[in-house]
Amino acid sequence: MTDRVCAVQLVDVHSWIRKTTIPRSVIAVIFCLGFGLMLPAHADEPLFGFTYTTDLLPKGKFELEQWSTTRFGKYPGGKFWLQENKTEEEYGMKDNLQLSLYQIYDSTSAFHNGPFGETTPPEQFSYYNPGPDDHFSGTKFIGVAGEAIYRLWSPYTRPIGIAFYEEPTFGAGFIENEAKLILQKNFRDDRLVLAANFTYAPEWRRIKDPVTGEVAIGEETDANIDLGVSYRFIRNWSAAFEIYNEREFNSYNFTHQSNSGYFLGPTIHYAGENFFVTVNYSQQMPWASLQVDTVPGGIVGGRIVDNDFEKHRVRVKFGWYF
Amino acid sequence: MSGGPAYATVYLTVEQAQALLFPGATFQPDTRTLTDEQAKAIAHASGVPVRNKQIKAWRVSTGGWFIVDEVVGKHEFIPFALALDDKGAVKGIEILEYREAYGGQIRDPEWRKQFLDATAGKKLQLDRNIRNISGATLSCKHLTDGVERLLVTYDLVLKKSS
Repeated sequence: MTDRVCAVQLVDVHSWIRKTTIPRSVIAVIFCLGFGLMLPAHADEPLFGFTYTTDLLPKGKFELEQWSTTRFGKYPGGKFWLQENKTEEEYGMKDNLQLSLYQIYDSTSAFHNGPFGETTPPEQFSYYNPGPDDHFSGTKFIGVAGEAIYRLWSPYTRPIGIAFYEEPTFGAGFIENEAKLILQKNFRDDRLVLAANFTYAPEWRRIKDPVTGEVAIGEETDANIDLGVSYRFIRNWSAAFEIYNEREFNSYNFTHQSNSGYFLGPTIHYAGENFFVTVNYSQQMPWASLQVDTVPGGIVGGRIVDNDFEKHRVRVKFGWYF
Repeated sequence: MSGGPAYATVYLTVEQAQALLFPGATFQPDTRTLTDEQAKAIAHASGVPVRNKQIKAWRVSTGGWFIVDEVVGKHEFIPFALALDDKGAVKGIEILEYREAYGGQIRDPEWRKQFLDATAGKKLQLDRNIRNISGATLSCKHLTDGVERLLVTYDLVLKKSS
C-alpha cells in the first residue's frame, strides 16, 4: 500500500532518481556543477555546511544559493531518505544587514524506518499518517522563508564577530521562527575561522491524529548548538570540521525534551571570483539518551530514529554572486 | 598556500609600478631572506605574522626603497608595491593585481593616500588611523597590516644597510 503525496510533480526526474543506484548526494553535486557550467560564475560564502559565520554580502550585492541536503539511514533494515532543497536569493541591504528569501521543497521515501521499525514520514511530511508497513513517498513544496542577518561586530575589526539571525518560515500547516546568535573568531590572517551558533526555533505545526483524524497544533522547539573550525589551506580552498547538537522540546520553554542528537563531520569549500561550492557530510553519533518525551523505541544503537533525525546527512551548497 | 589563480586582473606590472612610484629612477634588486630571529622580531613589533621570509626589495637610485609583497585576500593573494622614501616613510602604494569578487575599492587613490608619510613608529591599524571601506573590510585590514609589517621590516632590516 502506498501513501503518495505529490504537490510538485517532477515525475520523470524523480522516478529516475529513485531507480538509479547512483547515491543522491552524487546526483546533487552533479546537478549543482551542471548549473555551474551553464550559468555565469560570481561573498557571504558559507565555509560550513551547518554553521553560520558573520560574513555578509556587501551593500547592494546579490547572491543566488542552491542548497541540497540528503538525509538517510534510520532503523536498521528499513529504508529512508529525505531530500531537502532550498533556493535562496540574498541581498546586501547594508554592509551589516543581509536579507534573503527562500523557497523550500522536499522529497522523501520511507519504509520501516522509524521507532520499532514502523514506517514514519519525516517531520516535513508529519501531517500524513501512513500505516506501519506502508511504503511512503512524496514530494512537497514545504514553504517560503525570509531571513535577516544583522552583524553587530565584524571579526576583522573587533575581537570577535557577532551577528543576529532571524528566519521565519511559513508553510502549509506550519510556521517556524528560527533565531540564532552567531559568533566568529578569526586567526592566522583570517584563514583560520572558529564559529559558534546558538539557535532557538519554536514552531507551530498542524498534526492529524492517526486514529480520530482530529487536527491539533503541536508545540515544538528546536534548540541547537553548532561549532565549526575552518582553515583555508590553499588558495580558494577551505577545509572544516563541524559538530552540532540538535535538541527538540515539546514546548516553547525547554520543558518536555524529546530528543538530543549529536552530529559531526567534515566540510570542504571552494570559492572562486563569482561562485562557491560547499559540501558537508555529517553523521549522528551514538550519544543519544532517553529524555522525558522521547518516543518509545526512538533510540536504536544510541542514535535517534525519530522523525527529524537520521544517521547520515550530506549537504551541498552552491552559490553565484552578482 | 600555493596553487594557480582562477581569475586575475593585472593592473600594473612591477616595472610599471616602479616607473609610477619613482619616475625616472633606476632600480637595484636587493632581495633578502629574513632569519628566524628577524621574522620573529618583525612579527612582534608589527603585530602581524611574517608568512614569507623572502623580501623582494629594490634600492632606488634617487633614494628610498621599492618593495613588492602580497597579503591574504578573501580567496586569493593581493600583490602590491610599496614605495618608501630615503627616510623610510611611505611614498606610495600600488595594487598590482586584484582577483576577488569584492573589496577592489582598496585601489581607490583617496583611500591609499591615508598611508602617505607613515613610518614604522605610526602603528597603522584599521579603524584607528586607517579608515575602513565598508564592503572591503578584509582587504583593507590585510593591506593595512601588510604595510605595517613592511614598515617594521624596513626599520629592523633594510634601514641598517641603507
